[in-house]
Parts: sequence; C-alpha cells; structure tokens
Amino acid sequence: MKILIIEDEKGLRESIEEYFAEAGNICETASNYQEAMAKVSIYSYDCILLDITLPGGSGIEILKNLKRNNNTDGVLIISAKNSLDDRLEGLDLGADDYLVKPFHLSELRARVTAIIRRKTFNGSNLLVFNEINIDLLAKTAKVNDQSVKLTRKEYALLLYFIANKGKVVSKNAIAEHLWGDGMDLANNFDFIYSHIKNLRKKLLEAGSNDYIQAAYGMGYKFTSQ
Amino acid sequence: MKLVTRYNRVNLLTTIVVMLITGIIYYQAISLILISQLEKDLVVEENEIFESVDVNHHLPQVFKSNDQQITFTEAAPGSVKREFINTIYRNYNNLKYAKRHHHHDDDDEFETGRGLITSVTVGDRYYKVLIVVSTVEAEDLIKIIFGITAGVILLLFVTLYVTNRLLLNRLWQPFYDLLRELRLFNITDNKDIPLEKTRIDEFEELNQAIISMSTRVKSDYKELKTFTENASHELLTPIAVINSKLDTLIQTDSFTVKQSKLLNDLYSGVSRLTRLNQSLLLLVKIENRLLESKEDIDLKLHVEDMLIQFEEIFLDKELKVTTELGEKELVTSTYLVDILLNNLLGNAIRHNRVGGEIRIKLTDELLTIQNTGATESLKDDAIFTRFHKSTESEGSGLGLTISRQICENLNFTLNYCYKAPFHTFTVNF
Repeated sequence: MKILIIEDEKGLRESIEEYFAEAGNICETASNYQEAMAKVSIYSYDCILLDITLPGGSGIEILKNLKRNNNTDGVLIISAKNSLDDRLEGLDLGADDYLVKPFHLSELRARVTAIIRRKTFNGSNLLVFNEINIDLLAKTAKVNDQSVKLTRKEYALLLYFIANKGKVVSKNAIAEHLWGDGMDLANNFDFIYSHIKNLRKKLLEAGSNDYIQAAYGMGYKFTSQ
Repeated sequence: MKLVTRYNRVNLLTTIVVMLITGIIYYQAISLILISQLEKDLVVEENEIFESVDVNHHLPQVFKSNDQQITFTEAAPGSVKREFINTIYRNYNNLKYAKRHHHHDDDDEFETGRGLITSVTVGDRYYKVLIVVSTVEAEDLIKIIFGITAGVILLLFVTLYVTNRLLLNRLWQPFYDLLRELRLFNITDNKDIPLEKTRIDEFEELNQAIISMSTRVKSDYKELKTFTENASHELLTPIAVINSKLDTLIQTDSFTVKQSKLLNDLYSGVSRLTRLNQSLLLLVKIENRLLESKEDIDLKLHVEDMLIQFEEIFLDKELKVTTELGEKELVTSTYLVDILLNNLLGNAIRHNRVGGEIRIKLTDELLTIQNTGATESLKDDAIFTRFHKSTESEGSGLGLTISRQICENLNFTLNYCYKAPFHTFTVNF
C-alpha cells in the first residue's frame, strides 16, 4: 500500500514511517502544508495520514482540497484536538477516520488497514490470512472451511493482530483497543491474556497454525514465521 | 446586626443623651429665670412694705391671698438676716379646695413657695417680715414647658426612627441589589454582573470597582483555563512521540526480562499520563460548555450497555452486580452522560474489593450507584476536588470532578454518602 504521512512532528513522523515501512508498502512524508499540498495534488495514495495543525496551513484545508478534486484517497485524520466538533467536521468533510493523539502505532495501523480494505476491495468483505478467512460483514472467521466461533472481543483481537502482523503489539495497545476508556480499570492485563489464550485455542482447534507468540512479557506478535 | 439597626441604635442613643442634657439645662435655666422673677416680685413687695411703713408708721394691713402671704413677727432687733428661702406655706385656696372635696390630707394644704425674710422697724419695734409667694404657678409653667419639650423630643424620636428606617432602606437598596448580583456571580459565566445605575457616588464607585474586579477575575480565570488547555494540548504531541517511540522500540531486538519490565513500566506511565491529560482537557471543555447537545437518551439502555462493557471486569474482580432499573428518558448530550456513567461505574469498580458488590438503581428521579470497598466514609467534599484520590488509586484524580461538573452542566446534583458497607453516589435529575 502507498501511504502519505502528513505530520510536522519529526519524531512522530519517523516512527509512523518506520512502522509502516515493509515489503510492499511505500511511505512518503510531508512536514508542512505546502509540501503536503504539492504531494497530494501530484500523486495518489491508498491512505493519507493527515495532521490538522500544520506549519503553513490547516490540514482541514488539505482535506477540503482533496474532496473538491474528487480524490478518492483514504484519509485518516490524526489530531491532538479531541473535541466532538473537530471530529465531526473532519468526518463530515469526508475523512474516513479520526484518531486522537497520542495513539499506539498498532492502533493507527489497524485503522489504516481498515480504511484501505474498504477502499481497495471495494465492498468485498473477505479478509484472508493464510488459512484464516474472515467475513468482515458477517463478522465470522473460518479456518480453511471450518468455522470458528469467536466472541466479539476475540474477533476484534484477531482483526487487530492480522492488521499488525509481524509486529509486536503491546498489552497496553491491545487493552486500549478492546476496552477503550474502561481499560484503566483492570489492575492487570489478565483478561487480555485469557482472551488471547481462548482465541489461540479456538484457532488451533480449528486446524490453524499457531501464529500468536508472546513477546518478552510485554506484548504479543502475530506472525507466520 | 444590620447597618440600619446599628445606625438607629447609635442615633437614638445620642439623641436621647443630647435631649436629656438639653432638657436638664433647659429646666435649670427656666427655673432660674422664674425664680429670679419671683424674687424680683418679692423685692417689690418688700419695698412696698418699707414705703408703707415709712408713710404710715405702722405695719401695713396684710391681705391673705392665694399666691402671696406676708407675716410680721416681732423679733429682737438686729436678729434677722435678710435672705431668700424655699419654704412651704398654707394655701387657703387649696384648703378650700380640699374641703370641698372632703379631702383632709394635711399635706395638700401646703404649697411650695419662695420666701424673703427681711426686717422692718416700725417706731422702736423690730419686726421680722416673711414674704412668701407661691412657686406653684412657676412650677406649673416649668412642667408645661417641660411636657411640651418632652413631647417634641418624642415626636422627633419617632420621626427620626421612621425616616431613618425608610430612608436607609431606600438608600441601601443599590447595595442589596449589588449583593444579590454578587451572590449569583459565577466565574465560569460569560455574562457580566448587571448593575443598576445609582446617583449615590459611593455606590457608583462600588459598582465600578465590582465591575472592574469581576472583569479582571474573569479574564484571569479565562487565561488560566486557556493555559490549562494549551498546556494539555502541547503535552499531547510529546506524549504521542514517546508512545510511538515505545511502540517502535519493542519491534527491535529481543529483550531481557529486566528490560521488558522497564518497558512495561514505561508503557503504563505513559498511559497514565495520557489519561490524565485527556481528563484535564475534558474537564476544561465541560467547564466551557463546549460539549453540549440535545439528544434523546434512554438512560436505562445506556446503563445496560455500560454493564455489558464492564462485564469481564466484574468477572475478574468477582463483583456481584445487582440492578434495579426503571425507565428514564433524558434529553441531553449522550457524550456527557456516557462519561458520567463511565466515571461513576468505574469508581465503583476501582475502589471495590475482590468479591465485593455493586448495586445500581435507576428511577425517574435518581440514579444511585453503590459499592462496597473501604470500610470508612470518604471525605464528603474533598472527593469532588481536583486531584483528590486515595493513595492506591490508579485513576487521574479528576473523575469525580468531571462527574460533578457534568451534573452541574446538566442541572443534576451529585452527592456522596456512606452507610456501611456501601459507598453511595446519587445523581438527582
């Protein structure tokens, strides 16, 4: 996939770029309004990560410009502004999603993957990872042809893992993804462990390979290697 | 004590004292004048006697009159010293009066009088002369004058009291208006204190001072809020950088147990920092009433949703949850209501003990959330202040502040009470 990262904060921009950089992905970056405008008007991307507050102009203007030109690039706004109005304005203007800083890179990746999936497959609702088939509309999973009964959280977890395949995903990131605001209530990450254990067991029982690996006590990695 | 009361008290007291002193001086002066008048009369009478004696060479005939009595008594020559005296004498008028009324009290027959003792020599006989005039009339006069004066004082008194009351109340009206407005003053409000124009300089000055003070206070408060908001905003980016660097870091090589322990601690630190920051921003927004909207909310449904969301946590902490949910419709912001429910329920979980209990009750008037936990009551008011939290709490210390602020915005009230074993938070709609 081809991604444009429009973000003025160097540290963040580089981290995102590094996280997305892998075989088959092309990442480009822009650190200010002019550079971003230049890039979006020349090239086309699968997904544009758009910061709102930029030196030289507002990300909202870039978004408006994209929509004026009937650009079909996916747009994910990443902003420090977490007000409902900003969020609604961004989505009303045609952004596909809105992520508030600070975020986990794995969360960003999951969101970007979801946007691209919606754009690229154009309504197709099948996600395939080796022998695992996921019906995104029916929210069901199959290993080969055998269906796996997953709970809501296990299903979300599986999607999250596949979007971040090959990456170590921290327990914090998983907890935030699954529980959102309620996450700080858990005084430990035992639930995550039990969810992962169950998911893994169900996949294995259905005949899947073991893709989920614990990573040095701080997270998990979904990998086919 | 009210100013009016105090003022009246002082005013009346001084009036009384001044009036009393004036009265005494007045009385003395009039007495002196009248007595000296009587003495002049006595001297005139004395002279008449002398003249009569000079002309007739015998004592004049004495007429008994009501007001004046003259008596002659023989005395040793030169034994009489001329002097004025206060005396009493028998008044025949009074005697008659007393008789007519069958009054036999002896005292009544006597009247006070002013007397002049003098002497006269008729031929070779030396007489002591006592001329007495009644002072009753003079005293009556004094009494009348005094009575009138007292009446005037009393009238003055009443008038002063009433006018002071009315006038002061009227005069102080701007003050009371101002006081009422000050009581309504809300620092978060954008509207100014509505002040009535007054023609009294002092009140006008006070009004001006209040206006400038409130403007200053509001602008300071606004600045403070802007500062909080900006600071929190500025913090977001570095936190985002730390977060993303951590995420990047764990993609690199393998880690030792010690390293991963450190990384985990870093993660949870950053995560707390993030939540704290978000809470601060949220609080500022709620205080600024930036999050208000009107939506139809089925509160029962929201509570049920929330319970499903927390289901695993209930299981994990082995909490027993009992609910008694009635129907309740609200028209307000879903976002705020969800935050409120989330915070209250979150607290009930966070501060609960393993195997504890949570009770939720929803009626048309109120929502109560009860939880077991610490076995003593929390400090009632302190818990709603910013950054107040129990030492073992992992929360931001802003949850209840936010909850109370939301309730305030939505015109609900949020109260806490403890009745063993339950800590109870009640939202009154």
